[in-house]
Amino acid sequence: MSAVIQLENLSKSFGEDMVLKHVSRDFEEGKIHGIVGNNGSGKTVMMKCVCGFLQPSQGRVFVNYKQVGKEVDFPENMGIIIETPGFLPNLSGLKNLELLASLQRRIHKEIIRQTIRRVGLDPDMKKPVGKYSLGMRQRLGIAQAIMEDPSLLVLDEPFNGLDKNGTGQMRTLIKDLREQGKTILLASHNQIDIDELCDTVCEMDAGVMTMIR
Amino acid sequence: MFKKARQIFSVASYNFHQWRKNPRIIITFLLALILCFLLTDKAAGFAKEHGTSMQIVESFIWTFGDSNSILLSSLLLLLLFADMPFLSAGTPFYLMRINRRIWILGQALYIFLATGIYLLFTLVSTSLLCMTNSFSGNMWSKTAAILGYSGEGQAIALPALVKTLEMSKPFPCMATIFLLMLLYTLVMVFLMLFFNLWKGQIAGVISVFAFSVLGFLLNPENLQSLFHLPDELAYKARVWVGWLSPLNQATYHMHNFGYDRLPRLWQTYAIFGGLMLVLVALSLGAIRRYNFHFRGTEG
Repeated sequence: MSAVIQLENLSKSFGEDMVLKHVSRDFEEGKIHGIVGNNGSGKTVMMKCVCGFLQPSQGRVFVNYKQVGKEVDFPENMGIIIETPGFLPNLSGLKNLELLASLQRRIHKEIIRQTIRRVGLDPDMKKPVGKYSLGMRQRLGIAQAIMEDPSLLVLDEPFNGLDKNGTGQMRTLIKDLREQGKTILLASHNQIDIDELCDTVCEMDAGVMTMIR
Repeated sequence: MFKKARQIFSVASYNFHQWRKNPRIIITFLLALILCFLLTDKAAGFAKEHGTSMQIVESFIWTFGDSNSILLSSLLLLLLFADMPFLSAGTPFYLMRINRRIWILGQALYIFLATGIYLLFTLVSTSLLCMTNSFSGNMWSKTAAILGYSGEGQAIALPALVKTLEMSKPFPCMATIFLLMLLYTLVMVFLMLFFNLWKGQIAGVISVFAFSVLGFLLNPENLQSLFHLPDELAYKARVWVGWLSPLNQATYHMHNFGYDRLPRLWQTYAIFGGLMLVLVALSLGAIRRYNFHFRGTEG
């Protein structure tokens, strides 16, 4: 198995505060990699470095063998959720996803509709996203992450706001995605999510990453 | 090329989508309307007092031919751009589908269009506020003639000058003032964008403050007293200010119409255009090392 995400001595500081401390780790293709840790442990910062939103203070990040921030600004073929997903509140879920899909024009409207159904929402619902519950927004966030069929997914707390039924559906969806050969980086507070879904697990604590499994 | 242009346009239109029912945007335009009402009152009141009419865009010309009005209007516009560089919880979804360069060019396009809309609103507002006592023909009104030729304009601090009346007609003059204001405001906002990206939001605010204060303090009277220039050399202070102060560069009558050494209009356009290009280029450089912090996603 090849490593699709490589972290090389990754550190990130904000002023005097060192949030990530010399993290080195390879994440192999086709697996679900879990990241656990308390609030402020550095999980989100690490994921933002992987996505290219934050520039490392030290070290390097490679995604699909391309250095993030140097060879590519943001990794190609990657779907993301970084905690609470944000959408245009006055538009419907379908319209929001259409706007995002129009940036690359890789997929047709019908695929967007299918993806919305896949996460348990109705694509014909006219209700604007501003009136969605947190759980519905989270489902829509997952739909935007997977609609263009990326090979790599970075999901930071994807079950936030979902009820028991919704969490179960999303767990099944994530397992299906692994069966399709996707690589998934999953951060969660919930130990059950991690135990049930993940092939490998790392713990973040005060910016230090430790392999658990 | 076409794909990139479409992506740039999409990024700009994403920002415009956020205008809908946005209290900050509504407040900005309401305040702009109030500002126009207050600033045009002097010219409108003068016309009413003398029982004369005005050309429909004269209220805009006499109001924004003055540097202080331009300063006030441009500072109010900053309310529109208070959230620069426009990061929301939805931004990551856009970024992952484009690159940093496209994103910043999209923001630049948004700034350009939003500033244009704001100034157009100002123009329409000033015209509407005086429309009951105005005509639309492209000729100066009797009000303008009294203000300019009698010197009453200067007495009540309205920039209705003889050279404006002699060298131009209302619509071309309005178009020139509109363009000068647009360029000045764009330079100011792009300066803020660059400092925001390079050194953070506080630096962005300080840069705009410094830019405005520089324009405000660099006036002929201050220069004359600073360098102890006698009255017969006051014109030199005026010429220096015309070249050095960005705010005076944006003021219509502080230009050379053939008989002094003030900057010509095309020179001002070139200076502002060049500054804008430099600031956009610097922003493109700064975005490469920029750390994105999205609202509502910190963990």
